[in-house]
Amino acid sequence: MTTTRGPLLYARSRALPLTLAALAATAAFAVWAAGRLDAYLDPDRRVPIVALAPLLASAVIGTSLYSASDELDRTAVRPWWPRRLAQLAGLAALAALLVTPAVLGHTENFGPPAVIRNTLGCTGVTAAAAVLLGARLSWLPAFVYVTGVYLGSTTAHGRAATVWAWPMQPGSQPGAWVTALTAFAAGAALYAVRGARPEGPRG
Amino acid sequence: MSSLRVTGLRVRHRKTLALDSLDLALGTGVHGLLGPNGAGKTSLIRVLATVARPDAGRVELLGEDIAGHRGLAGVRRRLGYLPQEFGYYPGFTVREFVAYVAWLKEVPAARVAAAVERAVTRVGLADRIDAKVRTLSGGMVRRVGIAQAIVNDPALLLLDEPTAGLDPEQRVEFRALLRELGAAATVVVSTHLVEDVAAACTEVTLLDAGRIAYRGTPEALTLLGEASDGPGDHPIERGYTAALRAHRTPGAREGVR
Repeated sequence: MTTTRGPLLYARSRALPLTLAALAATAAFAVWAAGRLDAYLDPDRRVPIVALAPLLASAVIGTSLYSASDELDRTAVRPWWPRRLAQLAGLAALAALLVTPAVLGHTENFGPPAVIRNTLGCTGVTAAAAVLLGARLSWLPAFVYVTGVYLGSTTAHGRAATVWAWPMQPGSQPGAWVTALTAFAAGAALYAVRGARPEGPRG
Repeated sequence: MSSLRVTGLRVRHRKTLALDSLDLALGTGVHGLLGPNGAGKTSLIRVLATVARPDAGRVELLGEDIAGHRGLAGVRRRLGYLPQEFGYYPGFTVREFVAYVAWLKEVPAARVAAAVERAVTRVGLADRIDAKVRTLSGGMVRRVGIAQAIVNDPALLLLDEPTAGLDPEQRVEFRALLRELGAAATVVVSTHLVEDVAAACTEVTLLDAGRIAYRGTPEALTLLGEASDGPGDHPIERGYTAALRAHRTPGAREGVR
């Protein structure tokens, strides 16, 4: 269907319909995988879902930050930062909302608060990576960090670990929340001001 | 009256000085920007298009200093720009892509549909307006780029290598369009093709190593070529090389200005 309405064209230019579908698929996969975990001897193992579902969602968000016509976009009359911020914050909120059902009923440690925190933190890291590396590779730093922490933090304890191992912390851990919120604020601000790094001939 | 005036413009890319204390004023008409690779043509066009910031100097476009935000927004509404590589969204049709740029330029929503059809018709793509851009040939994609640059009826139009990929017939038609646009707007065309300049431009500016090497009319550049025995198949090509060589020879610069 052909349209000449600007906001709709903007949404399509950022592949938002595809992004929404991918986020819904990620949420469905997380719910399915959470159900499968009950097959293990420890039915309350939620850490894989809490760590990896937000990571997948942030990767989907990161790739939607790509702009094919960056050079022309820079000549837009209105400043870009409100649109960029709205896109990023809206997608992060939606992703948190969609992934949360996978961990409902486990609020004490690895429930909705931990998923929301990790979605915000991973989205912040991914947004910053989109500015520095480009949107297409924006998923990589968060992926390396979270999987590294996932594999390496099993024996980590103490106050410092609540900060650097924030994706693996219970939802009530203040240090992890501070780190994740800082990552989101910094990544969102950086992306809103500068946009994703151009990936064409001038990238 | 000049609709474009730059003073002391300096642009640096890492360690390379792309534009070196450039002063330039252009008014209504079609202005050809010539020069060898790396002369600074694209750097100048990008600063004029407000997508790159100069390291030093003042840029006034359409009477506004673009250092101020309010002035910048007003200028962008009346500015058209075709970059060397403009990128497009794979799922967009020609109509949608040109409408997207019209939206960026804040063309009033009620006028967008008509403005898009007019721009696409002017570049000879009316019969492909609902085709996906990705299905078009290279020359047609270039014409889509020209259509998006003129969709807001710009008072200042900046075209970086607009004829790259166009076949000879399309280039002849494009030159006619340039002459039509240049009657009311300031059009700056960066190109390597001196015959485009000879056929369509009212003035020519030759850049070399970030500085102006020559300014004049295409006819004066042709005359310079006729009086020179330098390389080139056509007088204007010989004029181009003669002006460049004169600029590079210390003591001979005043002779070609």
